[in-house]
Amino acid sequence: MASCRYQVLLLILCTSTLVYAERLHEQIYSSIEGGAACFRRLNGTHQAGCSSADNGAVGVVHMIKEINDAQWLVQNASAGPYMAVVSTAQFYDVIEIFMQQPANVAGILLYDNATDSPTAFSQESRCPNEYSSAPGNTCSSTVAGGIVWNTKGTGLLRRNIPFPIFYLPQSKSDEIDKIQVCYEKFNLDKSNQKGNPLCSLQLNSFMFAAVNSEVCLRRSASSALLTPTKVCDPLGDNNVYYSLFPRTEETKSSKSVTLVTARIDTASLFDGVSPGAASSVVGMVTLLTAATTLSQLIPAKDAKLHEQNVLWTLFNGEAFDYIGSQRVAYDISKGVWPAAAPLSPADIRLHVEIGQIGGALSNSNDSSWPFHAFVPYSNIIPEINEFLDMMTSNAKPYNTPVITPEFTTNLPPSSLHSFRRILKNVTESGELPEVLLVDHSNTFSNLFYQSALDEYGKIRFNYKNLTISDTGVFVSTDALLANGTLKEGDPQVKIARLATALARTLYQTVTGTAYSGNITASAHLVDEMLYCFLQSQACRLIMAADYASSSGGESPPAVPAPLYVGVAAWAATAPVFAAHLLALLTGAQLPANRTVCDTLAEPGYSYYWLRGWNHSGVCIQTTMNMSAAVSPAFAITDYDLSSGMYSSWTESVWQAMSARVFVSAGGGGAGAAAGAGVAATLLAAALTYWLHRHADRIFATPAASIVNDDAASGILRTVNC
Amino acid sequence: MTLAEFFSCSLLAFGAPLVMFSLTVANDPVRIIIMIAAAFGWLLSFLLSSLVWYAVVPLRSYLAFGMVFAVIFQEGFRYGMYLLLRKTEEGLKEISENHNIGSNKLEMAYVSGLGFGTMSGAFALVNVLADSVGPGTLGLHSGTEYFFVTSAAMTLCMILLNTFWSVIFFSGFDEKNYLKVGWVVLSHFFVSGLSLLNSRELYAATILPSYIVLLITAYVAFRSAGGSTAKLVQSFSSRS
Repeated sequence: MASCRYQVLLLILCTSTLVYAERLHEQIYSSIEGGAACFRRLNGTHQAGCSSADNGAVGVVHMIKEINDAQWLVQNASAGPYMAVVSTAQFYDVIEIFMQQPANVAGILLYDNATDSPTAFSQESRCPNEYSSAPGNTCSSTVAGGIVWNTKGTGLLRRNIPFPIFYLPQSKSDEIDKIQVCYEKFNLDKSNQKGNPLCSLQLNSFMFAAVNSEVCLRRSASSALLTPTKVCDPLGDNNVYYSLFPRTEETKSSKSVTLVTARIDTASLFDGVSPGAASSVVGMVTLLTAATTLSQLIPAKDAKLHEQNVLWTLFNGEAFDYIGSQRVAYDISKGVWPAAAPLSPADIRLHVEIGQIGGALSNSNDSSWPFHAFVPYSNIIPEINEFLDMMTSNAKPYNTPVITPEFTTNLPPSSLHSFRRILKNVTESGELPEVLLVDHSNTFSNLFYQSALDEYGKIRFNYKNLTISDTGVFVSTDALLANGTLKEGDPQVKIARLATALARTLYQTVTGTAYSGNITASAHLVDEMLYCFLQSQACRLIMAADYASSSGGESPPAVPAPLYVGVAAWAATAPVFAAHLLALLTGAQLPANRTVCDTLAEPGYSYYWLRGWNHSGVCIQTTMNMSAAVSPAFAITDYDLSSGMYSSWTESVWQAMSARVFVSAGGGGAGAAAGAGVAATLLAAALTYWLHRHADRIFATPAASIVNDDAASGILRTVNC
Repeated sequence: MTLAEFFSCSLLAFGAPLVMFSLTVANDPVRIIIMIAAAFGWLLSFLLSSLVWYAVVPLRSYLAFGMVFAVIFQEGFRYGMYLLLRKTEEGLKEISENHNIGSNKLEMAYVSGLGFGTMSGAFALVNVLADSVGPGTLGLHSGTEYFFVTSAAMTLCMILLNTFWSVIFFSGFDEKNYLKVGWVVLSHFFVSGLSLLNSRELYAATILPSYIVLLITAYVAFRSAGGSTAKLVQSFSSRS
């Protein structure tokens, strides 16, 4: 370290590159970059998630290698509080120890280790969205044991965590190495930590909101008079829907509708890390691909020939008590959804939900993909039986999927719960029949449900990076299988076949005859779509489906768009991508230039000027539209947020999230400074006092004063200025 | 341990100068003016040396280069301070209510030295003190937690040295005894040069010789001011 005085010279004019010329601050602290913090959400009655103290949580680093380390930390450690550094593989085993005895725990730094990956990892409840379930639900997260959907779920997403948690992905393993080096240098002597310099961590993720949604919304509103401070925002975003044929107020009554739904969003405990591969993306991509295929099977101009319509809907915010589907069911009950031509429950012939279907993709390498169709009726509903029979027969050529019906009202988490609660009269009686397709029976096959580790590798996805022609033609599945690019067991092929079966089944429903052509869903399209949602939003599809007007801007970052629903005040990008993909892939391309495109207005359609496959701009005519996915709780005036009727989740506001590692002082330096300081000051005081008091005796009297007394000095003295 | 460190280090570095100020300077407005003027003089010298450091781009990364110029400019301004005080002494004495102010010619030297030293100490330590608030201390890359206390001790040493240097320096010029002036300049270079060793974490090698130089300088200053050891001892015995 540079000298105490000449360092300053460089501190003030700090441009030098020498090691000891760095800011002292940089010598003391090393920030941990790329971490994602756990944050706070609130519902009508509770707060959930984490918050640090206002100025961050500080603790001594302790690397948790086994359960004993965690027990030592909460019971025997003396230099506390401690910051536990835990790998994802250890997390499930130790988190309950920390949650039970949090007194000595300052926080947790969770890291993902390439060599030691967990077999299961889910911070979602054992029974996701348990308190928004329809009657008949038998899953209970509070009862120990029993059959639950999410067996390895810790429930942290729904619990109040008394300390901050940060997550470091695999790509940031060098940060963990940094902490490891510091830990080994200072903290290894476990019995002799107190009073010595120790490697420490500071995690800063202070959350402004507290207590519950009602309190934090009141605080957000009431302080507006003095200083406008917002402490929480309702969760919400947009639902996306698209109908095969245009629906207008005049023509809607002539056609009954098959509602096909899936969800867009997923969640995780950590900010910005919600990959959701098996949890939601496979279902969404299946729906988008099937919708694309059906639009190829039935041209939109044939609308007048058919008595049926198909309404494809993507719900958003489903991870947090079914925000999107609750809103849609609520709006249907009020007769206001979709806005242009509202549906009544009687118009809906059948509701098919594509639920969580990605989990089983991780298990098998062959073409098998077993499905379970949850049918919440004890009596026979002809529409459902017919649908399942058609699915089975359409899937026959590929042996995928094989669907096993499950006749139970204990439904897995899905939008069916919302419809069965809010539209109870029609759904329970079977007037509005509902069926749910998932790939599991009693418990999830996806062991990473709504977690930071639910990544593309978990569904064995391997991007093939094939080029798309200028006209938007995708290579067919059969061609890709024939040239060996893809194999039968690849998720792209499986999803394409499921989408084909679904599209042909819906073709049969709409036209009344089985499909005899040879159009199938393309595994190439599935490949691109999975890549867009799981690996990089700077992908071919999203570039083509973006607004042409934004072509001047920079391309989106090469990371997946977050699939967390986010707050209603901010539109997330993932639903916009899904919506534009639907428009581009299913809509009709009109030979119109941009100005003409902007003036078009045929009822039932909307018009988008998108970039197109060759990025020159295309005018798309589509029936796609979006509707608000904000819980009815925030739409109804004077709604009692604690009633539990509708989703009441809000997200806290925060200012900054940061983590840094440093060495905390053992106290030796401060002790030495205090001792020396007191001694030096007392000595100086005594000496000065003595010399000052006896100055006339100790110091020789000056030889002669330079100044002589004269008249002028007398004058000045009287002036006394 | 962090706030404790901040206050302990502040006490170590500034406790003694504060006591000296309150016992000898604070009761006389003219002395306060002189002290502030000297502190301002130190600031000017520092501004000039930083300008030189900034202008000579190729040598910027060499700490010793900046140090040499800083010492030269400080001693230059100490001489400027001497000239200024000798020129204004009469006037100051006139406006002062304390007519004994000029009774010892080196009184002004002591006061201006204290001002010089306090300002240099403040500049040396304030950045360090700001980081001592914590929660961290040195040690992650290099250094130990004793960095702060050694910095504070060095600062105290420099403040006291500057005070005594001024006394010797003024007396040297009054008596035309250039040996004293030489001692001031050389010991300043010596102590500053020693502090370069801090970058190698040789704290003891810096502090011990610096305090030895401080003791010698203090004694020389005491003698220059007309003090005698015999009378000092006498003052104790007559009291007891």
